[in-house]
Amino acid sequence: MKCMYINNDGAGFADYIEIPEGTTVAQLFAQRVPGGQPSDYLIRVNRQPAVADQVLEAGDRISFTPTKIEGACPA
Amino acid sequence: MLFLRDVGSTEVGGFGLTNPQDLLFVEDFVMVQQVCSAVTVAFDDDSVAEFFDQQIDAGRRPETFGRVWIHSHPGTSAEPSNVDEETFARVFGRSDWAVMAILARGGQTYARLQYHVGPGGSLQIPVAVDWSQPFEATDWTAWQQEYVDNVRRDGPLRGGTFDKIRTSHAVTEFLTDHEWLLQTEKGMS
Repeated sequence: MKCMYINNDGAGFADYIEIPEGTTVAQLFAQRVPGGQPSDYLIRVNRQPAVADQVLEAGDRISFTPTKIEGACPA
Repeated sequence: MLFLRDVGSTEVGGFGLTNPQDLLFVEDFVMVQQVCSAVTVAFDDDSVAEFFDQQIDAGRRPETFGRVWIHSHPGTSAEPSNVDEETFARVFGRSDWAVMAILARGGQTYARLQYHVGPGGSLQIPVAVDWSQPFEATDWTAWQQEYVDNVRRDGPLRGGTFDKIRTSHAVTEFLTDHEWLLQTEKGMS
């Protein structure tokens, strides 16, 4: 099935991907962000926060976007 | 960016929107919702995600909106802090390339390009305004509104009366920090 996938890692990605029926959010994350820490990303499906075992459906829009973007001046 | 750096007493941050033909040429600066103090800035995670969705819907590629991270520093030094370095490594360390750009209130700039293709590397790059390119007219009202809409102040003056007073004057009146503080004190008494 086809889903829209958005991620800023690597060359950046915002396009449709083909994934097997029954794929969960956690499985897609492991496949697309190998070695990545889920806590470093806000994972959304159809613009709503998603849980790891959420099963993806055809046409879903999945985004992995960075979290904790913080800056500070030197002490 | 200069206006947003100076309009309040907080740090500010955002993403540079770059030209698809020249990925280091920043054409616009976009803020996301953020909690700021005089010395810190922290983006709201949901707002970052929403920013990404909006940019994709607008037909942009991630490499043109999610790779140039810009924020301001108080004082005169634009040198990155440990917090800046940690964020740059953690958030942008998996991208093929990214830029951390800092603009100090005193005018100093800092920009560093890091890339992770081939052997990888990192180098400081110069910062300049390219006046040969077309640009939109000054719009202080809209820029100030962007600040008001996105910046929530951290620390003892955060929220409540302080923000309301700031907001109520946002469009019609430009307040210096001193004027703002005086009005706030009046409003709180």
